[in-house]
Amino acid sequence: MSTVIEASAIDFERQREVAAALRAFMPESSVMFEREDVQPYECDGLSAYRQIPMVVALAESEAQVQRILKVCHEKRVPVVARGAGTGLSGGALPLGNGVLLSLAKLMRILEIDTEARTARVQPGVRNLAISEAAAPYGLYYAPDPSSQIACTIGGNVAENSGGVHCLKYGLTVHNILKLRAVTIEGELLEIGSDGLDAAGYDVLAVMTGSEGMLAVITEVTVKLLPKPECAQVVMAAFDDVEKAGSAVANIIAAGIIPAGLEMMDQAATVAVEHFVHAGYPTDVAGILLCESDGTQEEVAEEVRRVEALMEHSGATLIRVSQTDSERLKFWAGRKAAFPAVGRISPDYYCMDGTIPRKRLAEVLRRIAELERKYGLRCANVFHAGDGNLHPLILYDANEPGELERTEAFGGEILELSIKVGGTITGEHGVGIEKVNHMCVQFRTAELELFHAVKRAFDEYGLLNPGKAVPTLHRCAEFGRKHVHVGQERFPDLPRF
Amino acid sequence: MNAPLSSLRRPLPDGFLAALQTRCGAAVTTTQATLDHHGKDESWHGTAAPDVVVYPQSTQDVSDIVRLCASHCVPVIAFGAGTSLEGHVLAIQGGVCMDMTRMNRVCAIHVEDLDVTVEAGVTRKQLNRELHTSGLFFPIDPGADATLAGMAATRASGTNAVRYGTMRENVLGLTAVLADASIVTTGGRARKSSAGYDLTRLLVGSEGTLGIITELTVKLYPQPEAIAAAVCAFPSVDAAVRTVIQTIQIGVPIARCELLDALTIAAVNRHSKLSLREAPMLFCEFHGTKAGVAEQSKMVQDIAREHGGMDFEWATLQEERSRLWQARHDAYPACLQLRPGSRAVATDVCVPISRLAECIAATNEDIARASMPIALFGHVGDGNFHLVILVDPENSADLEEGQAVNTRVVMRALEMNGTCTGEHGIGFGKMDFLEMELGSALPAMRAIKRALDPQNILNPGKVVLPDEPCRMA
Repeated sequence: MSTVIEASAIDFERQREVAAALRAFMPESSVMFEREDVQPYECDGLSAYRQIPMVVALAESEAQVQRILKVCHEKRVPVVARGAGTGLSGGALPLGNGVLLSLAKLMRILEIDTEARTARVQPGVRNLAISEAAAPYGLYYAPDPSSQIACTIGGNVAENSGGVHCLKYGLTVHNILKLRAVTIEGELLEIGSDGLDAAGYDVLAVMTGSEGMLAVITEVTVKLLPKPECAQVVMAAFDDVEKAGSAVANIIAAGIIPAGLEMMDQAATVAVEHFVHAGYPTDVAGILLCESDGTQEEVAEEVRRVEALMEHSGATLIRVSQTDSERLKFWAGRKAAFPAVGRISPDYYCMDGTIPRKRLAEVLRRIAELERKYGLRCANVFHAGDGNLHPLILYDANEPGELERTEAFGGEILELSIKVGGTITGEHGVGIEKVNHMCVQFRTAELELFHAVKRAFDEYGLLNPGKAVPTLHRCAEFGRKHVHVGQERFPDLPRF
Repeated sequence: MNAPLSSLRRPLPDGFLAALQTRCGAAVTTTQATLDHHGKDESWHGTAAPDVVVYPQSTQDVSDIVRLCASHCVPVIAFGAGTSLEGHVLAIQGGVCMDMTRMNRVCAIHVEDLDVTVEAGVTRKQLNRELHTSGLFFPIDPGADATLAGMAATRASGTNAVRYGTMRENVLGLTAVLADASIVTTGGRARKSSAGYDLTRLLVGSEGTLGIITELTVKLYPQPEAIAAAVCAFPSVDAAVRTVIQTIQIGVPIARCELLDALTIAAVNRHSKLSLREAPMLFCEFHGTKAGVAEQSKMVQDIAREHGGMDFEWATLQEERSRLWQARHDAYPACLQLRPGSRAVATDVCVPISRLAECIAATNEDIARASMPIALFGHVGDGNFHLVILVDPENSADLEEGQAVNTRVVMRALEMNGTCTGEHGIGFGKMDFLEMELGSALPAMRAIKRALDPQNILNPGKVVLPDEPCRMA
């Protein structure tokens, strides 16, 4: 079974042996182990956790993926798959005794079927590249994580990524039809169907969001949607975040499912406005962005209703995008929220809890209290429509103790999410970052079920060990440690 | 009859029944009529009665019963409304049938969050009655008044799926009892979660072979501001299908779009006392704002005209609409009456919408050649359609021909990269087809089944594992 990751020193003899076995069928340049070559792979988007991988393999074909995994299986070498490395939970953190399998070279769009409205793509294709390739046919791929210019579809599947439009159009799991994936034994699996339904167990859903722990994805068939005839954004400002929260509730309760419904608090709004000049007011407690898409009449009517609801909920300022470039400018601000916060603080820690929508205001109030308790600022960005919070805790890693305070703050936010009936991760996945908090969200019976599923695919626990699903032993350890919030969480990991 | 006679059927072990009665008291029955009722569904598959029927009232009851079954190596089969069509509930190895219908409480309606938590035995109509005053509704509507847990277990769908999705998209979380009697809660009430494997969707569609669903939380939707339903007659099935394909391809968010061929219309007219023109028809429904509904329906009417469709006939009053959709839901029993004494072999293929017209055209040739009446209808907006092949269950030549038609239609769908089952599930009736359809994914499914139910006590002999004996833990 999977065990806790250890920052083991690299065993050079083992390293040579594994690299030689891979170079038997791969070009020398695609199998790397020199420190300067493998250093770029030491972390993903969660850079607080770093580890030099033993070997990096750059696969160029599905057949190569099969052979790499077969070798790793025979030699019992753990494998971590990686796409663009933009993940925010350390899911692609490599192992010092393992192979980092990069799929970035598998970046071909194999087929766009305009009649069936599907695209068949390799896992290293960037999310946005799919929509760009489909654009000439008036089609697009709906899930749009903020990192869409860089993140890959294979990574999106592994993490079940969402984005600002998933409220109306669903997460990755709702927008894919078929997968090709390779098991740790090197067997190719074809999962799903070209039709809207598939028979038997929903292995497609099990694979989606499995964070590289069940199989390595080598091909994805995604659904494409017709581009809506038009779209408009309503931006509304509030002098109180609770009013903004109730505006969200009122919109949903009125039966409107907007194409996107996003909230930013003042800290986030100010950071963004100074960075991209999206036209947001900076003297308000928070803003909401609500997009309508569809035909002209539908959009016009929905925008009218949304405006009325915003006003009724106490908005102090309402603006409606009049042109598409203005609409994109409104969104540019939201999509730049993370880098904008990155500009005003040496470091930030991005959280990803999900809560039932109606608890939003209460959770915001509690986060404000926690800011005072820990003496740290927190900018809040939300996929408000589906209750997915991204609190960004601002800290300075060079200040002694700040990272630890930040992690304790983050831990309290996660536990708060679970307490109000939510989950510890809406869309970023568990990875290494939240593996301990899985012990809080799930009980032994569920964790055992996760392990049973894992065993069905990966008997020896070679695929991405130590991520996403904690061992029961680890949970017992965490339970003890947990009493002392504020102590270091992964003492076994190197930090920078 | 064609009941699959399992060689693994054996008497209950000594002491099991007494232990069950001690735990569950009067909730245990062995009356033959009750056993027979729980050993069949609504299809041509025969009867395979369980040895005992028990009515749990809580998740704890279910867990205790499963623990007893596991320790005695007794199969256990969850039973909802018994309306499935592929032999899902047949007790082919005997054992315990767990009738979930007494767990029928609506636990909590969360109006602000648009979800509801119900016990396993709540039926879809019961739920919508209870939601009546809330302004919300639950859209998934298989023909029968099935239980919610049964719908989840078979990944059911219905006439609304084109707009609202199937049970796959609408179950947010569930409580289930696993083969080792442990109780798990998956998902939750959050709209999205990426914590751990997607156990919710693993259990949805697992047909009682991986766990027994005791409670579930499903999404609700606000009653649309405006609803309009219409029927439209076409010169041919093909013209109707092409209208649907074009409607979907240009992205009209139609709420319901059902095709009924002329024979189905004749059956429906007779059964539901309607007077529809006996021609291929589309039943359409539009949901949205007043302007949106007007716009959508105009777009579809224009497309229909291009394909030779007639003017829409509107069902504007709610009673008219209910009557129309009830008639559509009753299409299955209505078709059975076309040939008194018959049973139905029901097909349930689903193909990519780009291949739908071709698939239905070829299927219509099969229908023309067949010696028995065959009705065609379905949720064509999803690429999913049904044949109701009316066979005389006493006539083996008839049964054979009916199954041959079924096989031909399924093989065609598979060639078109479709599936053998859009919504009815596998049961044991489609296990061979599943094997053909899945190829490389089948070993993965079997591995999951073995991992979650190593003794093979949960609904054995269904979905992915052949009829294997229980293994003592």
